[in-house]
Amino acid sequence: METKKLLSDGKRIASQYTTWVTFVGLLLLLSILTKGNALKWNSIRNLLIAESVRSFAALGVGMIIITKGIDLSIGYVVCLTASVAASFAQNPDYSSAIYAGQSFPLFVPIVAAVAAGGLFGLFNGYLIAYGKLPPFIATLGSMSIAKGLQLIYTKAAVVGSLNQNFKNISQGSVGPVPNLIIYVIIAAFIVWVFLRHTRQGTHFYAIGGNSQAARVSGINVERDLMMVYFYAGLLYGIAGTLLASRLGLANSLTANGMELDAIAAVTVGGVSQSGGVGTVSGMMIGVFTMGLINYGMSFLGVDSYYQQLVKGFIIIVAVYFDMKKYARRN
Amino acid sequence: MSATYALEMESITKVFPGVRALDDVTLRVKPGTVHALMGENGAGKSTLMKCLFGIYKEDGGTIKLNGEVCHFKDSHDALKRGVSMIHQELSNVPERSVAQNLYLGREPLKSFGIIDHKKMNEDTANLLKRLEIDIKPERRIGSLSISMQQTCEIAKAVSYNSKVVVMDEPTSSLTDNEVAHLFKIIRQLCEQNVAIVYISHKMEEIFAIADEVSVMRDGKMIGTYLTEELTNDKLISLMVGRDANLRFPAVSSAIGDVLLKVENLCSPNPRSFQDVSFELRRGEILGIGGLVGAQRTELMEAIFGVRTTSAGKISLKGEEISSMSPRKAIEHGMGMITEDRRGSGIFPLMNISSNTSIASLREYLSKLGLLKHKELKQASVRYNEALRTKTPTMETLIQNLSGGNQQKVIISRWLMTLPDILIMDEPTRGIDVGAKFEIYQIMSQLAQQGKAIIMVSSEMPELIGMSHRVMVLCSGRCTGILDKSECSQENIMRLATKFM
Repeated sequence: METKKLLSDGKRIASQYTTWVTFVGLLLLLSILTKGNALKWNSIRNLLIAESVRSFAALGVGMIIITKGIDLSIGYVVCLTASVAASFAQNPDYSSAIYAGQSFPLFVPIVAAVAAGGLFGLFNGYLIAYGKLPPFIATLGSMSIAKGLQLIYTKAAVVGSLNQNFKNISQGSVGPVPNLIIYVIIAAFIVWVFLRHTRQGTHFYAIGGNSQAARVSGINVERDLMMVYFYAGLLYGIAGTLLASRLGLANSLTANGMELDAIAAVTVGGVSQSGGVGTVSGMMIGVFTMGLINYGMSFLGVDSYYQQLVKGFIIIVAVYFDMKKYARRN
Repeated sequence: MSATYALEMESITKVFPGVRALDDVTLRVKPGTVHALMGENGAGKSTLMKCLFGIYKEDGGTIKLNGEVCHFKDSHDALKRGVSMIHQELSNVPERSVAQNLYLGREPLKSFGIIDHKKMNEDTANLLKRLEIDIKPERRIGSLSISMQQTCEIAKAVSYNSKVVVMDEPTSSLTDNEVAHLFKIIRQLCEQNVAIVYISHKMEEIFAIADEVSVMRDGKMIGTYLTEELTNDKLISLMVGRDANLRFPAVSSAIGDVLLKVENLCSPNPRSFQDVSFELRRGEILGIGGLVGAQRTELMEAIFGVRTTSAGKISLKGEEISSMSPRKAIEHGMGMITEDRRGSGIFPLMNISSNTSIASLREYLSKLGLLKHKELKQASVRYNEALRTKTPTMETLIQNLSGGNQQKVIISRWLMTLPDILIMDEPTRGIDVGAKFEIYQIMSQLAQQGKAIIMVSSEMPELIGMSHRVMVLCSGRCTGILDKSECSQENIMRLATKFM
């Protein structure tokens, strides 16, 4: 018995480090390959900016996967929330604006986008928690609904010509530190406090680990499950807002494929598909590991088509090891 | 075929970093006999069997089958060579027929690779008939009772012409009648010269069926004995390494006022419990007896609010509770240790500390609504120490503990909610003798502290030894409540089979 414990504890510690080891290893590899050129502050800064929006999606889906769920609707929900945000931030004199001739205070696009994300989260959460739909199917359906709504809302046009105040949300910086990075740090901190230090956060782990035992322990499984999708939806709303602000526009291709990026990132970051396992630090490292891979390949001149290929393999390999690690339980 | 032993495991040693899980263990099983393998959880029984089936590679020693040295790659390899294992948990495909399950992976074929269903069903029918098992081969296996499914697994082992069959706690979900049938099949197998390795914690069974008993303790083989040489107490003392003269602690506590009152409780499912009424008083241990299928667990789950009810009242301390839920139950001072520890008890990937505190988080919140981690951990340590849970650290994952220690963690979880009423559904299932006795002591202490306990148990001695009163269910009805003085095996059985 004693050894089993030692072994499994050892493995657990080792696997906690794998995420870090992979990240640092990649950093070293990249700096060797590019003779340090890839790791200038400017490049790092760009990398952080590029990954910041994805971090919000990753934090959201990370929490969902901890409860043993999944969310395929991320990409289109973020696309929809970006479009909603953009539509309330267009210059009033822009003739093709959705609300042409009207200008809104800065909080409107933010609140509207976050509300849209939250509503989608509640919708997903309700279907999954109370309707007992498998998360895969529920979010597959809502993915298509989000896409449809986005096209209807924008009439498939680009929502552009955004006002400078709105663009400054993402494009501004405090001294040398870009706003986006500050937002990510704040969001990660809040999610960390939530998962680690609140009752509901702890319940998420319990539900993902054994939902039957969670129910018997007095946890309101349905409500908590619905809430995790709701919280994720809020994060997607923020992601949409920041993305529209950073790009200065939104269209039907915005955030395309972000679900894959986010799920891959948290999986690489050690959030287990078998539920009940995952940390915020892991999720964040996962995001930046994936970012580093993308960025490294671009820097080394790898064709972007191949990048897609590599990303696919990475997610499969990460889940493969994840399953090996936790599936032995039975 | 003339070998003296069907199976010989000679001087098997298995070392994990830091511990010798098996130290020079020798097990010799004669053909045509039932050889019981006993020992507390963690004694090395399952490690030994894992070495036999190739799941672990032994570090020293040899395995011989009919006198020939052999080593199996995996359990399928073993099966093909005539060594099979009946697991505690079922491993069949519930949606397929009995015959399809028996011939899974080696279906008889016609030309072009088409499965010969007719032959498969006929062969199965013959086999089942030979074993006196009354099941149609076409039956969907999932529609059979657990015991019948288990019998099918034995039939499967027979169909492979197994010479050695290992049975790991085969009776843990069987009723007495079903156990009797299982024993009949085991004796038939013995007549056909099959060797049975029988792993069980139940003394009564060992004395009823085994020819020889091998006892393991702390990774060592203590010895092999003829069953006739042993007594219950001798066997226990061999297993735990000390004299166990008392199996049940004295339960003498003052019975107080009514804590729980259940009146005419009915399940919406007409085949489940109907019209059940009883009272539970402070300081009392109420045993719930009955056969498997008597709906005892369903009744307990309904009282705790995991299941819905269609009629009847549940009152806690005089207050009627409408639409019970686990959360309400906990708020009103109830706790429930479920029957299925893995399915609805433990959070396998959480550590001991979190597993203990999960139901009490509400009481450990700061003014900001954040968890007081330090106090949570201290409380977890306190409860687990009081119950003497054996664990290296509080950060150890619960899945790495033995069954008995997992059970103690779950009891700690509920004690931490400061309950007045504890429902314990099969509290000692799959737990070794030493830990069992400790759990009995805990129960007795809790009763003395004025808590009330409902204990569902399928083990007669436990039911009779621990309970102040025993309520017996049969087919979902309460067929009687026996006082301590009336509690006998015969009386309980009579009530448990009233509608059979």
